[in-house]
Amino acid sequence: MRILVVEDDADAATAMVRGLTEAGHEVTHAVDGAFGLLEAQKGGYDVYVVDRMMPRLDGVGMVETLRKDGDQTPVLFLSALGEVEDRVTGLKAGADDYLVKPYAFAELIARVEALSRRRETGSVATMLKVGDLEMNLIARTVHRAGQEIDLQPREFQLLEFLMRHAGQSVTRTMLLEKVWEYHFDPQTNVIDVHISRLRAKIDKGFDKAMLQTVRGAGYRLEA
Amino acid sequence: MRLPSLLRRTPFRLTLLFLALFAAAASAILGYVYVASAAEARARAESAVRAELDTLTGIYRERGSDALNRALVDRLITDSPFLYLLMDREGSVITGSLTASPIVDYAEGEQWITYPYTDTDAEGRVTRPQARGVQVRLASGELLFVARSMGDTEAYLARLTQALWAAMGIVLLLGLAGGLFVSRNLERSMGRLNRVVTAVQEGDLKARAPVRNSGDELDELGQGLNVMLDRLEASMASIRHAGDAIAHDLRSPLTRMRAKLEVALIDAEAGKIDGVDALQLALDETDSLLKTFNTVLAIARLQAAAGSGRTPDPTVFDAAELAADMAELYEPASEDKGLEFSAEIERGLMIEANRPFLAQALANIIDNAIKYTPTGGAVMLRARRRSSGEIEFSVTDTGPGVPEGDRERVIERFVRLDNSRTEPGSGLGLALVGAVMEAHGGRIQLDEGPGAYGGFGPGLRVALVLPPATGA
Repeated sequence: MRILVVEDDADAATAMVRGLTEAGHEVTHAVDGAFGLLEAQKGGYDVYVVDRMMPRLDGVGMVETLRKDGDQTPVLFLSALGEVEDRVTGLKAGADDYLVKPYAFAELIARVEALSRRRETGSVATMLKVGDLEMNLIARTVHRAGQEIDLQPREFQLLEFLMRHAGQSVTRTMLLEKVWEYHFDPQTNVIDVHISRLRAKIDKGFDKAMLQTVRGAGYRLEA
Repeated sequence: MRLPSLLRRTPFRLTLLFLALFAAAASAILGYVYVASAAEARARAESAVRAELDTLTGIYRERGSDALNRALVDRLITDSPFLYLLMDREGSVITGSLTASPIVDYAEGEQWITYPYTDTDAEGRVTRPQARGVQVRLASGELLFVARSMGDTEAYLARLTQALWAAMGIVLLLGLAGGLFVSRNLERSMGRLNRVVTAVQEGDLKARAPVRNSGDELDELGQGLNVMLDRLEASMASIRHAGDAIAHDLRSPLTRMRAKLEVALIDAEAGKIDGVDALQLALDETDSLLKTFNTVLAIARLQAAAGSGRTPDPTVFDAAELAADMAELYEPASEDKGLEFSAEIERGLMIEANRPFLAQALANIIDNAIKYTPTGGAVMLRARRRSSGEIEFSVTDTGPGVPEGDRERVIERFVRLDNSRTEPGSGLGLALVGAVMEAHGGRIQLDEGPGAYGGFGPGLRVALVLPPATGA
């Protein structure tokens, strides 16, 4: 995946480029919003990772300009500002996701990968299929190897999110944000309990465990 | 106070403006009185002249020109207020108090004139008062001129004018003095307020305007200034307090982290643990420190919001949905620990609040309940509308509870009761809940739970009480 990192803090940028490259992506770094804009206009990127506060052209200005030019490449905003209003401004400017500094690499990579996937599944699918697991989004039924699995509504939503991001790591914070739509720190890992219940339903009695725990990151659904 | 600086003062400028307006009005009145009095005097003189002329022409018509002549002579002897002149056909004087008629055009019919005649006053000085006169040609061809002085009216008008000018002078002087007085008074009052403002500018937040309770505008302004300064001082104090608190709150976890890292370094050097483990430990410690830092920051922000009386980023939403989401989120964790989890949620609890913060507050108290209730116990979440209209969330557990004497204390930062030290936690959970409630104009209440339950108890009931959304 080709990623453009626009970040004025040299240390943060170096670490980010390193981490994303390590994760198998091709990364280009721009030192501020103006250079970022020039680089983005060359095209060919799958995701932009943009710092919110930068000299010359800030993240909001850069993303607004890109969106006005019709560039729909997914954007992940990075910001040291974590207040609700900042998140809202960031998303309004055209960002697709928002990550508050400081963050763990696992979180950054998971979110970047989730964004790139989002574009591929833009079309309205009625069926999701990962390995022998099938989800009918209309009838709201789930089958594994032809066997029906009975899920609670929230478990269904959780599995849908995991299936849409199959093969990718998703973090607990991402699940709380995208499935429950809450932005807060749940203290104990309540998400883990929900996952283990889901796991019990979809993996129990099958040879292959699809819902895997990724150490230090979160979970991944494997075909 | 020098004049140029006085001229810049608002009250004095207003005084001058009003004095100028008064002078203009007085001049207009004076002018009107003068014109009206003059017209009145002329009309009076004219009607008197008319009556006298009628009398004289009556005498002439009935008894002829000799009788008229005699009547005129009689009148000239007595001190008549009229001026008379009887002339022959060519205008030569026959009888009269004048040497010549002011009307030299001896036309037919009545001819009226206002003219200055020469007179001498009581002291023998020559004056030239105005007179109103009429001249007619009698049937026998003689010319009769009758006039009356308007000198009385003139003197009256002169006196009136003088009096009005004098009055105007006095008013102007008094007005000016009054203006100066008011200006100086106001200057003093404003000076007191200005001194407070200057003192505050120079950093003395304790300066306050003297209040006399006179109820006037300046007193009100002074009181308003004082209230504003009170609030400013309170919010400065709370910011300072928050700064101190953050510094203090972060020192202990930083110290702990440093110690742990030092131990990890020693262990790594001694080969007891490997470098990767030591770094993992460092990362975990950093994360936990960041979490503490974020919570401390959030508490400070909420307390600042509470100080200013404004909830941060409020939205109107259904608290019942929030409660249901929280119940759904925590129920599996609760059951995994072997607790019986139940929820009783009333419908339609509209509330105006910061949703993420309120979710965090609820999460914290549910989390505490699950954490401190021994296996086999129960946790219950309730959301309802009180009869007062307030929205109440409560979480009741069957854990050991909190002794009555400690219930105030556990809401403070970093306070952990002895029996909770074995559980993981920062000691900030309830402090954050308290701050969230404060910022929403709500409150947190800790009470005893349902009593002994399965060998434990008495349990704890934590209630969050919030005002409902306005208009809901």
